[in-house]
Amino acid sequence: MKFFTFHLMPWDRLPEDFEARYDSAWTWLPNELYDPDHGHTLYNNYLDELILADELGFDGVCVNEHHQSAYGTMPSPNLMGAILARQTKRVKIAVVGNALPLYSPPTRVAEEFAMIDVISGGRLIAGLVVGGGPEYYSFSVNPTNARAMFDEAMELVLRCWSEPGPFEHYGKFWKLKNVNPWPRPIQQPHPPVWIPGAGSQETIELVARKRFAYMGIPYFHLDVFRKNFDAFRNACEANGYTADPEQMGWLLPIYVAQTDEQAWAEYEQHLWYFIKKLLKGLVVFPPGYTSARSMARIKQSLAKFMGSVESRRQLEDGGYVIVGSPATVRDRLQQYITELGVGNLLGLFQLGTLPTHLARKNMTLFAEQVLPALRRELSTEPTELQTA
Amino acid sequence: MPTTATSATTEFVELDGKKIQVTMGGAGPPLVYLHSAAGETDWMPFHAALADHFQVVAPAAPGFALSSGLDEIDSMVDLAWHTIDLLAKLKLNHVALVGFSLGAWLAAQMAILRPGLIRQLVLVNAAGLRLADAPMGELFIDDLDDLRALLFLDPHDPAIELAMPSSLDDPRILLWLRAREATARLGWNPYMHDPKLPDHLHRIQCPTLVLCGRQDKLIPLAHGEYYSSHIPNARLQVLDPCGHMLPFERTNDFVRLVTQFCR
Repeated sequence: MKFFTFHLMPWDRLPEDFEARYDSAWTWLPNELYDPDHGHTLYNNYLDELILADELGFDGVCVNEHHQSAYGTMPSPNLMGAILARQTKRVKIAVVGNALPLYSPPTRVAEEFAMIDVISGGRLIAGLVVGGGPEYYSFSVNPTNARAMFDEAMELVLRCWSEPGPFEHYGKFWKLKNVNPWPRPIQQPHPPVWIPGAGSQETIELVARKRFAYMGIPYFHLDVFRKNFDAFRNACEANGYTADPEQMGWLLPIYVAQTDEQAWAEYEQHLWYFIKKLLKGLVVFPPGYTSARSMARIKQSLAKFMGSVESRRQLEDGGYVIVGSPATVRDRLQQYITELGVGNLLGLFQLGTLPTHLARKNMTLFAEQVLPALRRELSTEPTELQTA
Repeated sequence: MPTTATSATTEFVELDGKKIQVTMGGAGPPLVYLHSAAGETDWMPFHAALADHFQVVAPAAPGFALSSGLDEIDSMVDLAWHTIDLLAKLKLNHVALVGFSLGAWLAAQMAILRPGLIRQLVLVNAAGLRLADAPMGELFIDDLDDLRALLFLDPHDPAIELAMPSSLDDPRILLWLRAREATARLGWNPYMHDPKLPDHLHRIQCPTLVLCGRQDKLIPLAHGEYYSSHIPNARLQVLDPCGHMLPFERTNDFVRLVTQFCR
């Protein structure tokens, strides 16, 4: 069992009347609302929180890519990965991921990921993603080509890492006469690949076939995760092997304080800022991004999306978040991790407006009073130290 | 509409591995109707009324209705060659070509590539251009209420029911989502236009009628004015009041003007 700290690097100063004035925290939210001086403080706080995860004994840290959004002010997760490669000593650095259709040519991803892997001494986890629906509005990339571009780019990136260059690539979307990226990654044949998914059968089958790891896209009711991880395990069986729990990751917000009451008192307003403001506009399906038939299925899942939740009771019952004393968080995580059968827990320990001193306290309590018991109960070895 | 409207038959044509839905009805000189982004390929009242005077042929482009083959289409030029091949397969020549919105952009592109194929050209609230001073509205929005308000002048126009699904539970929604995907393939970026198109408009030689709704909020009147002033043998006719969905909103006038022009 591996434990990661995941960071979105959210914008924490949306106006009180945001919901009334703006349709979305994404794509069209005027960037005048971004204050670079405050951004300076936020970026440094957020990086310090991820560096703290290294010191506290987490197995890894996760960063991800979003554009033109208050939800996550991290258009380049590779920049963050590069900083973390230098400023952390032992954690895995999971960049989950790079939205391949937004990189042209996608050999750029092979290059930058190899750089992070080499600088960090082989600690990179390479996340490869299609990119969210809003990204296709932000970059004007044709969403009807999203899946086909992703497939071509993924094969090209893997080929960059595993086949000696130079070679030619003649695909539908990219024609490259001289592919020969320097540097090559330390990890051979290539860094571990994680691919996030929201339940599309195509993605599940791809990840199972390639023996990569499947990260469940967050903010859904536990039932949605159960269904998706079961589907993944079945897809692995269909490919002739049994899924390793570490091929599955579960991402969710976690908050630990001294007591249940204190945890909710410290956390709740920041959580609602996240749900009601930052999630607004996340669920966008540009035409052709998802097939018309999948759309009909996704409509059902959307009823179980966190953005439509209205009460603390619903949040707790649905397992959307785990909030409480160390004992509460420990018991519930142990139960759900066992039920879901996942081998990676990706905790969002900071979200919304949660100030850095509470995020740090949260992570520290988790590392000291939750993590050791979970490692013991879920009978896993401590992280192997990997140094170059 | 006359109650004895001319009926139609739908068939599927095999073309280079694609299966193309074509609806036909009526008798007379051939008139090919090229649908808009809404994918109106069922037999609409205006099809039926035109079929009183013409052999009306209404193909569905790849990805629209039950036509397959969207994977072969990457641009409006691809779709124009496909449609030229389709007319050859159907043995249609010297046709009246009537295109609406996305279909008008297609019709203009076909007239550039194969001027001899087209006897008369009718462009109705045509897409295909970008005018910096008259930007198009945003078609790629999900909210059906917002779309209705964008497309129709009167949000209570009874024709709306014919033209688009009313909600996500409408059984037509799957075809609607397919139509939007096929539209995005052609018009996501550059947004609903081809930057090279203006350079080619002088090659359109046939008599051309440019029909516009004065209150079109999706494609402003300036676009019709540009087409009519850059196509050598074109004339502009503006309907007022009328929004984007001209064949639905002003069916009788649409049929009358097309019939007069193409007969």
